[in-house]
Amino acid sequence: MLTIATARPGPYAFDIATTALLVIDMQRDFLEPGGFGESLGNDVGQLRCTIAPLAALLADARAIGLSIIHTREGHLPDLSDCPPAKLRRGAPSRRIGDPGPNGRILIRGEYGHDIVDELRPLPGEPVIDKPGKGAFYATDLDALLAERGIRSLLVAGVTTEVCVHTTVREANDRGYECLVLADCVGSYFPEFQRVGLDMVAAQGGIFGWVADSAQVRAALPATPVLQPSS
Amino acid sequence: MGSIGPVPANPYPWPYDGVADTARTALLCIDWQTDFCGPGGYVDAMGYDIGLTRAGLPATVRLLEHARALGMLVVHTREGHEPELSDLPANKRWRSARIGAEIGSAGPAGRILVRGEPGWEIVPEVAPLPGEVVVDKPGKGAFYATNLDLVLRTRGITHLILTGITTDVCVHTTMREANDRGYECLILADCTGATDKANHDAALHMVTMQGGVFGCVTTSDDVIAATAK
Repeated sequence: MLTIATARPGPYAFDIATTALLVIDMQRDFLEPGGFGESLGNDVGQLRCTIAPLAALLADARAIGLSIIHTREGHLPDLSDCPPAKLRRGAPSRRIGDPGPNGRILIRGEYGHDIVDELRPLPGEPVIDKPGKGAFYATDLDALLAERGIRSLLVAGVTTEVCVHTTVREANDRGYECLVLADCVGSYFPEFQRVGLDMVAAQGGIFGWVADSAQVRAALPATPVLQPSS
Repeated sequence: MGSIGPVPANPYPWPYDGVADTARTALLCIDWQTDFCGPGGYVDAMGYDIGLTRAGLPATVRLLEHARALGMLVVHTREGHEPELSDLPANKRWRSARIGAEIGSAGPAGRILVRGEPGWEIVPEVAPLPGEVVVDKPGKGAFYATNLDLVLRTRGITHLILTGITTDVCVHTTMREANDRGYECLILADCTGATDKANHDAALHMVTMQGGVFGCVTTSDDVIAATAK
């Protein structure tokens, strides 16, 4: 077992054989200048600061053979998996399925829907396409984790209070031990970044633990201990 | 039967489709249990101010009467575990022990968060009437490992009004699950509460951002005023 002694609200112990790094929705539509997120008036710089530390963590995690899973939020081209309440929300002409700067907004297969180049999944790393904020609803994530024997999740991605939080809450109810990586999750709103992380660790860690990626990287072994998953 | 809406709400007049048919709208009363908000429950016994978790009770009592008079579906939820704790994840048990309230151990009102114990029961002010649906859930979210989705879809429910405790934990988790499932959600600021007022406020604020990422926020008065019989 490895331990992150300085995690909030207390030490976080994990076994790398039963741990996965879960990278949530690091998609161009949310992170790229000129993309959907920015077109809604958001400052993508608030999210882009997560890319460098996450890229470094990904490299270390790959080097030791840790399980890595990516997610993308998006919908089928005919919008058959998009609830009407979700579709009709938001500014007219900037809604899901509308043409955007990087293709149709949040539609599977479009350029903007894919993951940013810096964090591109490697062959063999599962990419979970999800229609909601949570990565467990209407996906095979739970089955995939069970099949690999995963019990602990190191969670990164965007945005902290929406898709990261919803997924961590789902994972927590399913008994997974979640460590949210404070510098690898991002929000367009600094207030929500702060309270989002505080809420995870509140009440004795009601949804999990919080630490920085540097603390995780320092705890990981320097040499490969796991075979890449088949 | 009647209709609700448009209700003045933040960030848009609720619901998105203009008017909610009361036959297709359910009132959710989440975890109004003695252990969380009742005198003699474990939150009370641990020295927390249950005034904060009880703050939403009077408005919920009034709204519950309103919903019952309209013939709306009312669904109550209770967080709790089987007596043998077979549905209690190990980390949830460990964490509860760390803060001195281990689930399954003897508490001030019976075994803490165990189904059938006095502290697990819903407080009398908002107790379910015979025939009302009560969903027992092992997690924070009311959809995970329960029949809630099936019950709502069977009744043709498309819109949800949320009350209960605590705002940032069980109410928010349930609202997020409901939103992903396509339900149009309205959370009531005066019918919810948290052990930390700042978390209550932040949780409500989060709902209102990005065009209503999980739905809308309003008050019970606005819902009642926007009802047509």
